[in-house]
Amino acid sequence: MRLNGVHIEDTFAEAFPMLGTRLVITADTPAWVQAAVVSMTGFATSVIACGCEAAMERVLPPDETPDSRPGAAVLLFAMSKAELAKQVARRVGQCVMTCPGTACYAGLRDGPTIPLGNALRYFGDGWQIAKRVGSRRYWRIPVMDGEFLCEAATAAVDGVGGGNVIILAANRRAGLAAAQAAVLAIRDVPGAILPFPGGVVRSGSKIGGKYKGLIASTNTAFCPTLRAAVPASLVPEGVESILELVIDGVSEATVAAAMRAGIGAVADLGAAGGVVSVTAGNYGGKLGRYQFRLHEVMA
Amino acid sequence: MSGIVLTIRDPAGPPIDMSGVLPERLAEGGREALAGLMLVRGRGRHRLDALFTLEDSGPAGTLILHPGGAVLDGVGTGMNTGEIRVEGECGAYAGSAMRGGTLAVAGNCGAFAAAEMSGGRLRVAGDAGDFLGAPLAGGTRGMSGGSVVVMGNAGDRVGERIRRGLIAVHGRVGSLCGARMIAGTIVVGAGCGPDPGQAMRRGSILLAQAPDAVPSGFVDGGMNDWLFLDLMRKELIDGGAWPSGFPTAGTRARRLIGDRSAGGIGEVLVLAEA
Repeated sequence: MRLNGVHIEDTFAEAFPMLGTRLVITADTPAWVQAAVVSMTGFATSVIACGCEAAMERVLPPDETPDSRPGAAVLLFAMSKAELAKQVARRVGQCVMTCPGTACYAGLRDGPTIPLGNALRYFGDGWQIAKRVGSRRYWRIPVMDGEFLCEAATAAVDGVGGGNVIILAANRRAGLAAAQAAVLAIRDVPGAILPFPGGVVRSGSKIGGKYKGLIASTNTAFCPTLRAAVPASLVPEGVESILELVIDGVSEATVAAAMRAGIGAVADLGAAGGVVSVTAGNYGGKLGRYQFRLHEVMA
Repeated sequence: MSGIVLTIRDPAGPPIDMSGVLPERLAEGGREALAGLMLVRGRGRHRLDALFTLEDSGPAGTLILHPGGAVLDGVGTGMNTGEIRVEGECGAYAGSAMRGGTLAVAGNCGAFAAAEMSGGRLRVAGDAGDFLGAPLAGGTRGMSGGSVVVMGNAGDRVGERIRRGLIAVHGRVGSLCGARMIAGTIVVGAGCGPDPGQAMRRGSILLAQAPDAVPSGFVDGGMNDWLFLDLMRKELIDGGAWPSGFPTAGTRARRLIGDRSAGGIGEVLVLAEA
């Protein structure tokens, strides 16, 4: 398949089931919302070493938040319910509760329960107050600037992690421009996040490596500087830079929509923009439950 | 199947115990089962259709009572589902031990309304008597769920020993509102008699103005912003339970914490001082 001069390889992205949740964080100002979100989603790029993958889903205007203040929706994904619960408690406890003026609410209602305020309430040292408002239950935890309001629990959803798009470009500047265009397009897809810095990965990995005990190592097949040295190199002639976008979503359809948006944005730049081709990472279809075939996604 | 309108035949006379007259009886056995219910009035037992006329009318599953001037005690007692509308006044025990459904009273209701209620909704357009949402006589547990909205005033010991749920009184309440309260929320739109929250453990009493007197076990926590008030305001405005005397914006309130003499960490929040 060729779109605007960009070759779309006939391959697939291999993705995995993950458990995800959405949190809504509010604060007095957008700046403090960002402070909390940046802190909470920091070091959450890959479950390989971070425990979870997380990023801001979108900014929420005051009329879309429970307390009519500026806010943001954040998505977190982990490999198990226990790990997700642990990461939620740690990150909300250390990064949201600590941030001045914030409150934290559940962004999902249906599904397995993940403790939120229920896990953090003990910080109140006996002075915490449970409060039911309508059908929702909150914890009010006394803190030094007043009170941290936190919904008692959130819900988990069966999500998909590891959807990906790999952009092969003539040079680093062209590759970065294409990746940034794709990031902007994907961020408009509800329910999808790009957990890596700026939404882009430059150090894509393969499973294992030559060193004992290594879980992952550099994806030599996609390293342009090793093209001549690695027999299984997948770097075509004329490609100097390769960037990957890793996508997590709340459903298979969401990840597919995000991939479509990203590839479409890259294709819009076209060969004239220095993009050579688009491919995806997989493990031969043996590991992941989900396969996103690029030609089907773009059909 | 439509609802049933019950109109009292003889308003004069002793109170009638209505505690078995429930929408679920109508749903289970139909009009005939309802008509055959035996009710106690004074010292006598009477068939329901001897005390009331029955007319098919209104939405399905709904009982509409026209009490005239009669005293109807125990309306909606133990109710689980459906709706009862009282086009007049209720006696004592309206909605007591109620578990679900809706009871709407167009007039006033007597003492022990919503006593030991655990679910459902009670709406009173007039005033309510003493012990609203409190334990029944000899009981140890007050309301444990559901919501009560009184558009007028209420008597003493509103929400005594309440454990869960919401009581909203748009008007004034008497003394000892929320006494021995365990949790839950009580909202009072006008004046509050002395000693709200005496011996309370947890829970919130929201007042439009400072009470006549505060129990000695309360400490003044000062003014602050309480974000949950914003959530509560939205929820209660939707349900008609946010008193008109309460501020329509802002989250500031004075917080009194207590009752420390009982080891409690409940709160009396005075909103009008904001």
